Amino acid sequence: MRIRNVVQLHTVNKLQAFGWPLLIMLFSLAIVLVIGAIVGSVGGDTAREGMHRGMQFNGAIFALLGPLIGFGFTAMGQYFPLALGLGLTRREFATGTALVFAGNALFYAVIVTIGKLIEVGTGGFGLSIRFFDVVYTGIGEWWQTLIQTFLLILVVSLIGAAITTAFHRWGQSFLWIFWLTLAVIVVGGVLAAVVSVPFRDAVVSIAGMGWVPWMAVTAGIGVIGGAIWLTLVRRAQAR
Amino acid sequence: MTAISTTGLTKRYPEVAALDDVSIRLEEHRIHGLLGRNGAGKTTLMQLLTGQVFATSGEMQVLGGTPVENVEVLSQTVFIQESQKYPDTFRASDVLRIAAGAYPNWDQAYADRLVEQYRLPAKRLIKKLSRGQLSAIGIVIGLAARAPLTFFDEPYLGLDAVARQMFFDDLLADYTEHPRTIVLSTHHIDEVANLLEHVVILDQGKVLLEADTDDLHDAAITVSGKASAVDAFLAGREVLERKALGSLATATITPRDGDELAAREAGLDLTQVSLQALFVHLTTANAASAADPAPSRAAA
Amino acid sequence: MLDESKPLFQAVAEQIEDGILDGTYAEDDPVPSTNQLAAFLRINPATAGKGLGLLVDAEVLIKRRGIGMFVAPGAREALRQRRKFAFQDQYIAPLLREAAQLGITPEELAGMITKEVAR
Repeated sequence: MRIRNVVQLHTVNKLQAFGWPLLIMLFSLAIVLVIGAIVGSVGGDTAREGMHRGMQFNGAIFALLGPLIGFGFTAMGQYFPLALGLGLTRREFATGTALVFAGNALFYAVIVTIGKLIEVGTGGFGLSIRFFDVVYTGIGEWWQTLIQTFLLILVVSLIGAAITTAFHRWGQSFLWIFWLTLAVIVVGGVLAAVVSVPFRDAVVSIAGMGWVPWMAVTAGIGVIGGAIWLTLVRRAQAR
Repeated sequence: MTAISTTGLTKRYPEVAALDDVSIRLEEHRIHGLLGRNGAGKTTLMQLLTGQVFATSGEMQVLGGTPVENVEVLSQTVFIQESQKYPDTFRASDVLRIAAGAYPNWDQAYADRLVEQYRLPAKRLIKKLSRGQLSAIGIVIGLAARAPLTFFDEPYLGLDAVARQMFFDDLLADYTEHPRTIVLSTHHIDEVANLLEHVVILDQGKVLLEADTDDLHDAAITVSGKASAVDAFLAGREVLERKALGSLATATITPRDGDELAAREAGLDLTQVSLQALFVHLTTANAASAADPAPSRAAA
Repeated sequence: MLDESKPLFQAVAEQIEDGILDGTYAEDDPVPSTNQLAAFLRINPATAGKGLGLLVDAEVLIKRRGIGMFVAPGAREALRQRRKFAFQDQYIAPLLREAAQLGITPEELAGMITKEVAR
């Protein structure tokens, strides 16, 4: 198996694979630090405390996670045709790419975890800000952040790859059906929550079900996405 | 040994049969020409033979195995596709590095020499390269991979005359030094005709002709002379094309044994038909017979 | 460079023959190898080889294993004889046909040839 070549395919461009996500993350962190400095100097201690609480929902970390979501799309949309063109098999491509997804998720999960440890240890970089220690990547123990971030990136990559492969196979009609289904679920969910009190209560209780069940759900979604992707990629054709 | 053989190979897309009942046999260590107009099915055939798309029906053997998902076969095969897509962020040097790892016989020194020779800007983003420079990437990979089975799909699009000659010279020289099976697909036939040992002509997804080029001088002859003499000669023969100017006529026919002598005795001039001309005759005749199913035999 | 009205391998053979006739390749001298011919004429090596093979079969060239092909002793004279024989067909017959069409009598034609030679 020429897995090494597939891994190289994804990582040969260092700036694209690692440079840009990290640079964008640092830029985003710098902005949050500036905001923290301004709030701290203008508002005083109570404002800092309020900011510290509020910032656990701050999505600045998506400056890092956002570009990584695209990883699954580019893997199938741009790298798959070249892999076939270079005589690599679908099995080799899928295995290598899954490895890259996992390695990528681990690499950035470690970065986020280290960032979180520093952030918590230094009292939000001395400014009471939160960038790494937020709900999306976990506000519990450091190992929870490591696992949560790893799962999040991996699952999103797998779903991105599955969607792109399905689009590749069924074309525009798949996208229409996909977005339509998603819209029906979201709109239906919101409507149900507005109309029915028991439904709303159920949603709230599910949302508060705790870290371990949430991780299990995330992993479950990842397994489904991964299974769909691997099934489709074995029958994917060049275009 | 046979490098490629197919039986009844068919590829249907929802709207069209891209390849229809194709049975061919390509011997190893030869340069084969895969000729056809745009949309004749050349690229589809090569995509099938390299496992990039799946056949609707039919059989194929490539280097002794089926190519689909077969590492053994595919690592011995390089397919330079005219419409190959590259990732947006890639430079030529990135592709060359991966190709170097993917092909067991890769010759890096040769690749470096070719990059320089074709003036390929290896550090520029591929999406900013010209059509000719894109072709140059394919040529470098196709030659330096030294794959026992090498497919070139319209390899010299966008190249100027100098670079095209360079490609033919490089191809011949490297083929001589490292004999391998080469399939060259093109619709610009005149320039490559002399390089080919065997040709397959595809039209509308079907094989119109498969022959050794040395035997092709028997595939068609052109006779010319007085219209009355030409027409008398054409009676009962398979006519590919007939043109007349005043009392003179020229016709291209598929000859049978003794036809050349008969034509000379009838006082007609005989000329060889070039591969390019034969190709044009065959494909136009095919288009005409598709429009009118009656066989195109001249009436007496 | 090559006679396009003939199959390519025949044209290759004829080109070597021309070289032997005009002394480019003397008897016992080597002729270009298959690969040299292929590269020089930009043709498939198999075609070049077939052309040379034709000359080996006609005993115009001799193959020395591991060294290459050489002009056979007496090849030049044999070729000249053969070409002379073909000359009738290839040149004299068409000449006479064209002459007849123009109403040139054989005597006139002979006169024209003598005059041309004298020039």
